[in-house]
Amino acid sequence: MVNYGGDEVSAIVVDVGTSSLRAGYAGDDTPKSVIPTSFGFHKAQQTDPDVSMGDVQENGTTVVKSKYSSIYVGSSGPSLWREGMEIGNPIVEGLIQDYEPVKPLVDHAITKVMRANPAEHPILVTEPSWNTPANRERMAEIMFEEFNVPAFYIANTGVLNAFVAGKGSALVIDIGQAMASVTPVVDGFILRKGLSYSPLPKLIHAHARHVLLNPTQHRRGVELIPHQLIASKLPVDPGQPPNYTLRQDRLTGTTESWRKWAEEREVEEWVQSVAGVVDQGWNDQMVAQRPPRQYEFPTGYSAYFGMERFQVGEQLFNHGAALQASNPNLPKTIPALMTEALRACDPELRQVLVSNVVLTGGGSMFAGFAERLQNELVRSFPHTRIHAPGTPIERRYGAWLGGSILASLGTFHQLWISREEYQEHGKNIIGQRCK
Amino acid sequence: MAASAADIRSALSLPENNAHAGPSQLKKPVQATTRKPEGISRELYSLIGPSAPSIAAQLAKPRLKQKPNFGVGGVKTKWELRTFKNSARNDGLQLQHWVQASEDPSAEYSFSKYNVPNNNYTYSQDEYTRYLDDQEWTKEETDYLFSVAQDYDLRWYIIHDRYEFPNGPQRTLEDLKDRYYSVCRKLVRNRPWPGDETSKTLLLASFQFDKDREMTRKRYLESLESRTPEQIAEEEALYIEVRRLEQNERKFKRDRENLLRTLAGMDSGLPDVMEDDIVSSGVLIGGESVYKSKKKKGTVEDSPATPSTATIPSIKKPNAPKNVVFDAQNCIIRTEAPPTAIATKAAHQPAFLRSFKIPAPKAALAPKINQALAELGISATRLVMPTRDNFAQLESLLDVTTHLVETKRLVDKADYDISVLKKRMEIREGSQVDGGGDGEDGMDIDGSQAGVDAEGETEEGDDGRAVSVMSGRSGRAGGRKHGRRSMSISSVDTTSTRAGIKRQKRS
Repeated sequence: MVNYGGDEVSAIVVDVGTSSLRAGYAGDDTPKSVIPTSFGFHKAQQTDPDVSMGDVQENGTTVVKSKYSSIYVGSSGPSLWREGMEIGNPIVEGLIQDYEPVKPLVDHAITKVMRANPAEHPILVTEPSWNTPANRERMAEIMFEEFNVPAFYIANTGVLNAFVAGKGSALVIDIGQAMASVTPVVDGFILRKGLSYSPLPKLIHAHARHVLLNPTQHRRGVELIPHQLIASKLPVDPGQPPNYTLRQDRLTGTTESWRKWAEEREVEEWVQSVAGVVDQGWNDQMVAQRPPRQYEFPTGYSAYFGMERFQVGEQLFNHGAALQASNPNLPKTIPALMTEALRACDPELRQVLVSNVVLTGGGSMFAGFAERLQNELVRSFPHTRIHAPGTPIERRYGAWLGGSILASLGTFHQLWISREEYQEHGKNIIGQRCK
Repeated sequence: MAASAADIRSALSLPENNAHAGPSQLKKPVQATTRKPEGISRELYSLIGPSAPSIAAQLAKPRLKQKPNFGVGGVKTKWELRTFKNSARNDGLQLQHWVQASEDPSAEYSFSKYNVPNNNYTYSQDEYTRYLDDQEWTKEETDYLFSVAQDYDLRWYIIHDRYEFPNGPQRTLEDLKDRYYSVCRKLVRNRPWPGDETSKTLLLASFQFDKDREMTRKRYLESLESRTPEQIAEEEALYIEVRRLEQNERKFKRDRENLLRTLAGMDSGLPDVMEDDIVSSGVLIGGESVYKSKKKKGTVEDSPATPSTATIPSIKKPNAPKNVVFDAQNCIIRTEAPPTAIATKAAHQPAFLRSFKIPAPKAALAPKINQALAELGISATRLVMPTRDNFAQLESLLDVTTHLVETKRLVDKADYDISVLKKRMEIREGSQVDGGGDGEDGMDIDGSQAGVDAEGETEEGDDGRAVSVMSGRSGRAGGRKHGRRSMSISSVDTTSTRAGIKRQKRS
């Protein structure tokens, strides 16, 4: 029992990311509930505070001036088509900017999916390395005052990802849906001066969208129409124009933001299933030899993607010369981020960090990414060792897993910020306790 | 059949400590205190009691497969959800966890013991002004440094990362460390110390920090890292070259050794070091210089690994001055082989009796010398007491005798020459026919004549001693031999080798 130093107090770990919100009991190896962070809503009309049906409804009495008349969260939140439903995401560049939907999101994950009462469990929340003190204080406030949690702690995703790999010191490369970051972690603390991050995944997404929409000589441009808007379709051969009919009844009620969200999802899915990275640098001949992959879109259109699927992944390491010339403010690539992070670190630490590289985040799951990174790194650091878990769960929910490990340790329980302490010291204690 | 404790007692004729005590009664008090551990037979346990060796625990009967025991026989583990307080916390937070119901509810939380605060140094205003003043640092900043250092448990990388003193100068990691440790050192030095001196110096040593050295080290590290690929490639190439040179050198050395062994009979299994001795003794000056220049070129850093020639004499030397007193007290006389000795198997000197080493006269003169000594009543080949002193005296006597014999021979020769010349003059005066032209032939003839005449001359020896018996021929032959012999004798004198003795005996 005490062998591994664990002592489970049934704490709940909540990890809020750009794409999904993960929640589950500490000590588990997978989060019990994973829900999209995006949420559907109907705008509140000032004149008509109409409360419509929905999975979770914002209580009109607690939030006086709500922007949203109704909020739809969970697996049947944004993905379920509703007339006039807009889609929002509280997170901008990894940070929670809009705290209003956070409560319904967390509440849904804990009470609806996990069927637990947050007032009975200590809650550990994760934060990105570049989180602001105001943000974490706001999170603590929500937890203590709206969920009545007995104890609270906020931990850094970089540190947690290092813990998952079983390392106290590591260079954590975390590629999420919106942000890519390189965080040096030493003895369980991040080095703030060495932290570097960029919205690189956004660029990759934009690039993939560009690739799909524009026709090439082999295929036509792809219409990104989500399955919610398609009434029927007939199977066609690869490369042939699709044969489908739209749901005319829904077209008028579809909002711009929902359409955008749905298209992004289509692109995302294409990237996830097709895109890859060439492991030995870009080489036209080599890429041409790689087998193409077929992908079918919701419209029924299907095509083979050869070089395109590697072009997308290549953006992680290299922006093309043409792209660089046209846009001087491109987000930094992964090697650039690493160089920047390492340069800011003490020369003594560099070798330690480079031999403990931890690769995590759903965006790092491009086929061949770890090999490519290894090849790039070995050139300048011969002893590079990359820890890249093979299971998707460990990569996608790395920070949650780290939180699960941390919050189930017997020695950790002295670090919880209790309700009593919060009331006594106020918000300052968060900065003191969660270093 | 099992032997009871009583049986063994009777067999060993130990007294029964209880008249009507059976084994069952003996066992009882033992069982009351401790249970018999598994794996020890009941009889053995009743003999040795609870002080069973700990090995017994491993004597448990081996089982084929460990079977899980899920509360068989109604023994169910009861778990319960309990609230607990963590004494490592300052507040009264109560968390809940599942524990076995058998555990003591009032027990201390088992993880609180890991909360180890590390002791931190604090100082008063007075102490600061007296010892710690530094124009580079204000008291406020020092205070701040100490608070950050405590917050992050002296993890310096983190401290440096989080160190942000408002309006303070930019500090490097070394600045911070230097200030912190120097303050700690000063505090330890100037405060009354309760413990002993060694612990104080130990503590001071743990606070030692050499800023300049650290900076230099970091600079080296940085320069090491900032090498261009070309530089790295060049270094790599140089390293390979060095390794190649080293290998060549080793090969050269091995070849040379083999050669030396073949030439000098060095199949003795003497340590390799001795070969370097030869080199230093000047046998292979040329080879040595080549060896050295190669070494300088290539393996400067590896030099401690290869035994250098300079170190060998220094191994022998320390003996001498140290043992002088001891030797004098115990009448030990050390005969040290001269450093120029050639370390061959033949030259190796085993232990010997001194009587084996009675100095022998020069072989050419031996009969004459022996004769002379016999006249004095001394035997040159046997000493009643072959002590060191007696040996020295015998040797000097031999020397003197040899000298005497030699002188006599010279005198005789001179006399003979004179007589020959006289005769010649007589002949010349008698008949003026012979010219002085035939120099060498004449000399030869004179020599042979002298040889013949010498026989006669012995009769007219001046002092009548047999020592004077000396033929020109034997003298000359002796002279020739002497050249050869003297070499061996001189070598015997210096090294006194067995070979020398052998050769002497043979002659």
